Amino acid sequence: MKLMPCPVNGLRPVSEFFYWGEVRPMPDPDRCDDAAWADYVFNRNGAPGIKKEWWYHTPSGTWFIAERDTIRDEVLRTWLHASPEAEQQ
Amino acid sequence: MRASALHDLHLARVPDGAGWIAAAGMPMPAAFPNEGDPATLALADASHWQRAGVKGPGAAAFLEALGLPVPAQPNRWTPLPRGGLIARLGLTEFFIEDAGAIARLIANAPATIGVYPVPRADTALVLTGRDANEVLLQTCNINFKALERMAGQLALTSMAGVGVLIIPQHAKSGADDIPLYRIWCDPSYGPYLYRTLLGIVEELGGGPVGMTGLDHLAPSPSDNIQPTGNP
Amino acid sequence: MSRLPPVSGEWIQRDRTLAFTFEGRRYAGFPGDTITSALLASGIDVLGRSFKYHRPRSVLSFANHDANIIVQRGTTPNVRADITPLTDGMALTPVNVHGSLARDKGRLLDHLSRFLPVGFYYKAFHTKQLFPKWESLIRFIGGLGIIDIKAERLTTAKRYDFCDVLVVGAGASGLSAALAAAEAGASVVVVDENAQAGGSAAYGLAGQPAGDAWQSLRARAAAHASIQIRTATTAAGYYADHWIPLVDDERITKLRARAVIISTGAYEQPAVFRNNDLPGVMLGSAARRLIHRYAVKPFNRVVVLAANEDGYRAALDFLAHGIEVAALVDLRATALPTENTRKLAACGIPIHTGHCIHEANGLDRVSSIVAVPFDDGYTDPGRAIHIDCDGVAMSVGWAPAAALLYQAGAGMRFDEAVGQFVPDHLPSGIFAAGRVNGIHGIDRKMADGAHAGLAAAMHLGLVPRRNLPAVPPETTCHSHPWPVFAHPQGKNFVDFDEDLQLKDFENAVQEGFDNIELMKRYTTAGMGPSQGKHSSMNAVRILARLRGEPIDAIGTTTSRPFFHPVPLSHLAGRGFVAERETPLHGRHVAAGAVLMPAGNWQRPEYYAIRGRTREQAICGEALAVRKGAGLIDVGTLGKIEISGPDAGAFLERIYTGRFANMRPGTTRYGVMLDEAAVIVDDGVVARLDEGRYYFTTTTSGSATVYRELGRLNTLWRMNCGIVNVTGHKAALNLAGPNSRKLLQSLTHSDLSEAAFPYLAAREFEVAGIAARVLRIGFVGELGYEIHVPADQGAVLWDALMTIGKSFGLRPFGVEAQRLLRLEKGHIIVSQDTDGLTTPDEAAVSWAVKMDKPFFVGQRSLAIIRKQPRRQQLAGFELEGPGAEGVRECHLIITDGIIAGRVTSVAWSPTLNKYIGLAMLATSLTAQGTPFWIRASGGRMVAARVVPTPFYDAGGLRQKPVQAMAEAA
Repeated sequence: MKLMPCPVNGLRPVSEFFYWGEVRPMPDPDRCDDAAWADYVFNRNGAPGIKKEWWYHTPSGTWFIAERDTIRDEVLRTWLHASPEAEQQ
Repeated sequence: MRASALHDLHLARVPDGAGWIAAAGMPMPAAFPNEGDPATLALADASHWQRAGVKGPGAAAFLEALGLPVPAQPNRWTPLPRGGLIARLGLTEFFIEDAGAIARLIANAPATIGVYPVPRADTALVLTGRDANEVLLQTCNINFKALERMAGQLALTSMAGVGVLIIPQHAKSGADDIPLYRIWCDPSYGPYLYRTLLGIVEELGGGPVGMTGLDHLAPSPSDNIQPTGNP
Repeated sequence: MSRLPPVSGEWIQRDRTLAFTFEGRRYAGFPGDTITSALLASGIDVLGRSFKYHRPRSVLSFANHDANIIVQRGTTPNVRADITPLTDGMALTPVNVHGSLARDKGRLLDHLSRFLPVGFYYKAFHTKQLFPKWESLIRFIGGLGIIDIKAERLTTAKRYDFCDVLVVGAGASGLSAALAAAEAGASVVVVDENAQAGGSAAYGLAGQPAGDAWQSLRARAAAHASIQIRTATTAAGYYADHWIPLVDDERITKLRARAVIISTGAYEQPAVFRNNDLPGVMLGSAARRLIHRYAVKPFNRVVVLAANEDGYRAALDFLAHGIEVAALVDLRATALPTENTRKLAACGIPIHTGHCIHEANGLDRVSSIVAVPFDDGYTDPGRAIHIDCDGVAMSVGWAPAAALLYQAGAGMRFDEAVGQFVPDHLPSGIFAAGRVNGIHGIDRKMADGAHAGLAAAMHLGLVPRRNLPAVPPETTCHSHPWPVFAHPQGKNFVDFDEDLQLKDFENAVQEGFDNIELMKRYTTAGMGPSQGKHSSMNAVRILARLRGEPIDAIGTTTSRPFFHPVPLSHLAGRGFVAERETPLHGRHVAAGAVLMPAGNWQRPEYYAIRGRTREQAICGEALAVRKGAGLIDVGTLGKIEISGPDAGAFLERIYTGRFANMRPGTTRYGVMLDEAAVIVDDGVVARLDEGRYYFTTTTSGSATVYRELGRLNTLWRMNCGIVNVTGHKAALNLAGPNSRKLLQSLTHSDLSEAAFPYLAAREFEVAGIAARVLRIGFVGELGYEIHVPADQGAVLWDALMTIGKSFGLRPFGVEAQRLLRLEKGHIIVSQDTDGLTTPDEAAVSWAVKMDKPFFVGQRSLAIIRKQPRRQQLAGFELEGPGAEGVRECHLIITDGIIAGRVTSVAWSPTLNKYIGLAMLATSLTAQGTPFWIRASGGRMVAARVVPTPFYDAGGLRQKPVQAMAEAA
């Protein structure tokens, strides 16, 4: 079983986590057209590569962002949303 | 009167009136038939102690203003001077267990900006004895031995499929230092977790232990006895 | 064959015997024996029948690298006799045998083998009509034991464990690695599938000087405080991040290591010659294990087939234990002159270099062999040498036991010098040592182990990094490149599990299956119980030669867990199914509740009454609510507090309705959408005071809603806090015309219509317990939802039930509640809605405020509203016969086309008719429209659209004072 580093609770088996999906900024609903909105709602990019994703450590209720290389199945780093590490992006 | 979530499970082993006592406003069996030896392996219901939580960005400052010893780092705990303990769950959530005084203070705290009270009616368990680690190995997928090397640590993890807060402590049994684990979970999972753990405990030759045995081992906070360990 | 006099270091204890039966006959063995060693010692030649041709079989590898000897023990099938310890009173039967082992009816198949060609399954099942015929035939001839479906369920405990370094294989290299890592400060677990640690050195070195170093290594490893040695334990696979299931007789231990050292050694490989599967023909290592561990004399007069030093060592070993060595046949043109070759020659043993075994002969055991000159695959049968013998020991080569390395992602390459696959590059934290690493010879293996142990310690940061000189690579080849000898009559087996002969591979290549993975699937090579341990290497060599390519170009098949079969009871484990109970669970059970699962909760479906049917009980509960008072445990609802200055604004973003303008002390219905505007949850929102809201979610939605709100608040960073109190609060719904009077008798708070009107929320004490009370009417009567701390829920229940006796109070379950809310036309999210239902379709458009700046799903709903609506939820009544057969999910059929489905349906005892909700095509939704429902069995039942609520359309019963005023 994979290990996932929770930024608060440390390395834990991945079964303690919930995977939400890729971090995808929402387009401005007032400005984008219907097609762009539908693309945001329904389409996902399944191509392997380096992904930024929302993950949740269930026992502690911690949401965080994980950067994963889905080709090599490696977690590159994790951080709390809007934490100082994130600002470096 | 409060009732433990495990009340009916206890009733099946200890009939009503046969040695039940009121522990901090909660009826509990004083002793069970075929009790486990706390020095070897035993499981106790400690839900009678009172709990309260608080979370939010202002929670730490709020607790400090109350004069409480707030752990500076996430996932650490420390004993309270008058018994009981305060634990920092992650960055901005706190858990307090004591005889009731602080718990009431927190629960009734005025809603301050960035301070959110967390009402808690957890099922609280005490797993104790030299074989306690074997029970953890059968139910928890984290390495408590590594965790225990650093004092004052706690773990928010999954135990037999239930989200739990676990604090490793130590107790004295005669001259021996024996491992003791405090375990808290959502009370709706309490009966399942207790049944599961007790099943394993009994399979390994241990058993339940009642209030008398528990007090002997880890006296309740109201008696002004601190949890052992050196956080 | 027979038992030898005591052998130094033997594993058996001769001070007592164990009685057992095999095929009903009584035998005896010693503690420490395996089933096979005891049977061989009892003089039995045929211990099994092969899978396909039912050929007689006995020991081949004696190491669980073949499946020749599988027995059944009681209800336990698939017992590997070679490695299963003998216990007292075992009653064993052979498998895949019709009649007895000796007179197996299936043995005739051996003569029909030409009708079972390679790719048999694919060819046989090509014609669909013949499926059943082939199936019954194959079920008759195949099969490895009998499953007793009535056997008791074994609950096996699983456990987790942790260590710094896991060493797989307790041979010379593994123990050296363990010592080096432990001395550097690591906590080490060593596993070995054998009953004792030590590896092949125990017999490989017997009586030779290097034995002392090995003995001392064994003793030091066993005594080291940081080393835990687990014997009779298999590392069954490698999973991500050093997660290894360790399988022993009792359980699976899932071990998480920080580094893993693979020192699994090598499998000795058979030579491929005609009748190489006859009992008596076995690997040299198998014969030596029989001698040294179990003191079993495997044969009296043996021919050794050698292509390496191990063969000579084996021959000398046999001589030392009183076995006559008829000859040594060496595949190599010349043997390297070593101490062993010289010794053997000095004993006067005939040594035929440049020869192979052309065939073995015998009925149920080898009685002679024919050796012929052999040169790179070419044999010369004209110059045959006939040798009588009752055994053949094969020592022609090795294949690395690299399964775990492959699974861990190691790259392997074929090293021509040593003649085997060796690791080319290893993943981080994985180390290899010993023969699996291409290092042979006791001293070199120990050095290689120490190197790996130190490298692992460096990887973990236990010792400073420095350059470690590696053990120089092997220069001697221990494996013959072509131990395969063609024979016009075949029966030269490559895969013993699947009875695959050399010609099967040739035919497969001719038929176009000339890629290693294709060949494996077509021939089924390596797909039997031993998963290619004794056959893959030869298969690869054969394919390479047939294609005229180097072995590296052919590669190997994918290695998958498990390394050995694992009992299903081990895999199932104890089974943790986390169940939730409300604090009233015991009260429900005492009141006769029939429980049903609702998500991970157990809820009362209804309360059984002696002498009444389920339907009668449910109707009785519903009528009690309509006419007197009812009490239902709604503690399973999600219960969430949200407070702070932005709490109202936050709720407006997650619910479709308006909440920021609510007056404190009021409640409002809320609908939650996802980004596609599909309803995901609903509930009641109460504003407790200026900065504090409390809301409920559906039972099934509580965990996911709380989780997602946490994420949204992380994303939006609004000034509010969300607290999940679902399990920490008990909740009861007291409903019915008598509910106010009943509740009033338990509180001093004013419950009058003016003080506590419909849809209000209040906090006051009930029966002395601090409660949060919401006046809402899901079931359509005057009602109060009372929330209290979970540890006081039972006290509240008891207080209400006691007082309730004089008010006709009855507890009611989920079924009665479903009926009551249906009468009111209230939807249940995920019953009346599905994964595509919008609020417009669910007829809750009234709860959607599109003029808000934003809510989740708003933009999508705006797009959807521009399109014609396809379906909508509507109420219906059933008319005419067959109504009792209509169920949820039955389809509405119009003009032969599906035009909707029933989402809720029930008999209403209050209205005296069948009512329901259906998701209908919009063309059918006009009031009074008749339509047909196809019930079970195809019966068409007439229905008609009617307005909802079915009951108390004006909602007057929920606010009776107002009703009285209006009536006046």
